[in-house]
Amino acid sequence: MLQYLLKRLLGLIPTLALVGVLVFLFVHLLPGDPARLAAGPDATPETVALVRQDLGLDKSLPEQFVRFVGGVVRGDFGRSLRSKRPVSTEIGERFAPTFWLTVWSMVWSVAFGMAIGVISAVWRNRWPDRLGMTLAVSGISFPAFALGMVLMQIFSVQLNWLPTVGADTWRHYILPSVTLGAAVAAIMARFTRSSFVDILQEDYVRTARAKGLPESRVIAKHGLRNALIPVVTMMGLQFGFLLGGSIVVEVVFNWPGMGRLLVDSVDARDYPVIQGLVLLFSLEFVLINLIVDVLYAVINPTIRYR
Amino acid sequence: MKALLRWSVLAFALTVLAGSPAFAAKDVVFAVASQFTTTDPYDANDTLSQAMAKSFYEGLFGFDKDMKLIPVLAESYDVSKDGLAYTIKLKKGIKFQDGTDFKADAVKVCLDRVTNPENKLKRYGLYNNNIAKVEVVDDYTARITLKTPFSPFINQLAHPSTVMISPTALKKWGNKDIAFHPVGTGPFEFVEWKQTDYLKVKKFDGYWRKGYPKVDTITWKPVVDNNTRAALMQTGEAHFTFPVPYEVAEVLKSKPDLEVVAAPSIVLRYLSMNTQQKPFDNPKVRQAIAYAINKDALAKVAFAGYATPAEGVAPQGVEYAVKLGPWPYDVAKAKELMKEAGYPNGFETELWSAYNHSTAQKVTQFLQQQLQQIGIKTKITLLEVGQRVEKVESWQDAATAPVRLYYVGWSTSTGEADWALRPLLASESWPPRLFNTAYFKDAQFDADIKNAQLTTNGGEKAKLYKDAQEVIWKEAPWAPLVVEKLLSAHNKKLSGVYVIPDASFNFTDIDLK
Repeated sequence: MLQYLLKRLLGLIPTLALVGVLVFLFVHLLPGDPARLAAGPDATPETVALVRQDLGLDKSLPEQFVRFVGGVVRGDFGRSLRSKRPVSTEIGERFAPTFWLTVWSMVWSVAFGMAIGVISAVWRNRWPDRLGMTLAVSGISFPAFALGMVLMQIFSVQLNWLPTVGADTWRHYILPSVTLGAAVAAIMARFTRSSFVDILQEDYVRTARAKGLPESRVIAKHGLRNALIPVVTMMGLQFGFLLGGSIVVEVVFNWPGMGRLLVDSVDARDYPVIQGLVLLFSLEFVLINLIVDVLYAVINPTIRYR
Repeated sequence: MKALLRWSVLAFALTVLAGSPAFAAKDVVFAVASQFTTTDPYDANDTLSQAMAKSFYEGLFGFDKDMKLIPVLAESYDVSKDGLAYTIKLKKGIKFQDGTDFKADAVKVCLDRVTNPENKLKRYGLYNNNIAKVEVVDDYTARITLKTPFSPFINQLAHPSTVMISPTALKKWGNKDIAFHPVGTGPFEFVEWKQTDYLKVKKFDGYWRKGYPKVDTITWKPVVDNNTRAALMQTGEAHFTFPVPYEVAEVLKSKPDLEVVAAPSIVLRYLSMNTQQKPFDNPKVRQAIAYAINKDALAKVAFAGYATPAEGVAPQGVEYAVKLGPWPYDVAKAKELMKEAGYPNGFETELWSAYNHSTAQKVTQFLQQQLQQIGIKTKITLLEVGQRVEKVESWQDAATAPVRLYYVGWSTSTGEADWALRPLLASESWPPRLFNTAYFKDAQFDADIKNAQLTTNGGEKAKLYKDAQEVIWKEAPWAPLVVEKLLSAHNKKLSGVYVIPDASFNFTDIDLK
């Protein structure tokens, strides 16, 4: 197992290297000159030239690439073109709010989604199923920005129960995590349901019932555990997406997270920050995939890694 | 856990405070539309960062809430006969927030810093590379010598970029890090800047205007989403917000504790036409386009009534602006001009917008529909900011410039005619140099602008600028459209905060009941 983990972690390096090269090239292909953007519309060509020099953009592309790679190897991702602060600080400040928001959204949406999924599967085609799936479909179809607005209007503006923006206390987390988790909960519910429905028709479930186990035990032990594999895969994927920072939710709730940072950086053609963020997102995805694989082994002891 | 507990206690305390009407400290929250790029006005190109920097910085000169030029740290000035030497007397007894006395050396240090290309500051171009030297005559007198006479020079000194930074602090923090440790003479001291969340300033006890400021702290909170800013105003979490989008203005107006203000502006919206390209090289075509647009309807349709038809080339409120219009709406006349120009059936062309927000979308659709009346078929493109830079602002070769009809706007932050006309219409200002997207070139206009820079005689200057504006009105390189109004909202408890005509803020008199 340990050896397997090591092997996977080493495999990270070529993946990230490739991502690094691609993102460097793509970023420099974006239309628009960052020096001109930074200098502003009323700047003279002399000023633009000064700004370009200041940002290190007067160097040739290969030279910039060598500097970028050299920096990354030493753990230096450069400085933001806009704020002039190190990219690691820029991203570091925004990582925690996005991370915790993602965790809390995942916690409630997985718990809620799985509960609905199980209930729907057990009472298949009866009213709890209908109700659960109606909820799930609404969760997927209701756009996040609209949901966020509606929640804010009701709970902050009308009722004055919760704060509107910021990320300081647990109360700040409630509305954004509900908004962010709604779609995930819906997806989880549908996945759990379909996976569970299949499992309940398996031979070993019939065997378990035949040997006289109470239904609750059949569902909790024999059903749930086996139904979890596809659910965990989905969970991992969703977690990866949410960690990238939801642009919509972060804009609506003015959340100081990475989604907004990415949008702002693309607008300002802030090359170093875009590169740093994309590398981080790739790393997160690879790591989450690894964790998901390990979880498979935990859930199903017949899976072994070497 | 401890941190969480502390935060919860703080949150509880804040909720209690917010709930009770009378509290000791006067803490004001401003909700603004985007993040600050820097606290250093010499390195900022956005109006908002410069407006925020007025918390801790002041200039030698400035603008009052009606955009009238006033001395701030300067007592008075005079200009030498040849228009080259500006001698500026400074007010006495003023201290920077770090305790340094404000003296003439600060003027020299600050101007030398920005005009030195090695410092690579974004406002390097503001002074046209025209400052020859800055001298300290005595402690309270500075003399600035120009290379060539430039009559709007005092307006450049009043621009929100030209502020006085403490020389001690500049030495201590250096050219770049001063942006994270601003020290000026302004009414508030810098406290902290959490880029993602807020920038906070507190009352400076040693402020030279006795009795000011009247509030204890200001928290500048960037909140990107329009509706979220509106929500913040409704919950009372913010006291002032700008800009207010037209669609939420009505909602905010209906709240008893809020007031929505539509302030006059010098933000002019116009449609520029590439005069180097057929068919826009023909003045008749350009005039026809100007006649074909109903500016009143445009103001109602796209700006929800918060705009007025443009009355000239430079908006009223800019010094030496001349009222020449509005340009009448006359479709019959437009059709006739098109016929005379040889395009009785119109033509097809491109219509670009410099912005891609929803107001620009409405404007361009309206223009498209209006131009159709005289047979001009347009293809609309709303340029994203990177595209705009690539295809318009930094296009190198004028002959191949792809821009045709271009919807754009301009705000004259020095408040005088030179900066309202020269960057947009002088032949020296073709992209990529400046912003003459009409690629307009007219010898008389260029001469007027040049001569106006050289003269120090006010009457002569007014005459030259009047002539220059009349040339533009006649030649019509633009169809002038509307002058926007600036919508802001504030809590009725807050007073003394104004959006000034160039979309910056004036909050000298800020107070909270």
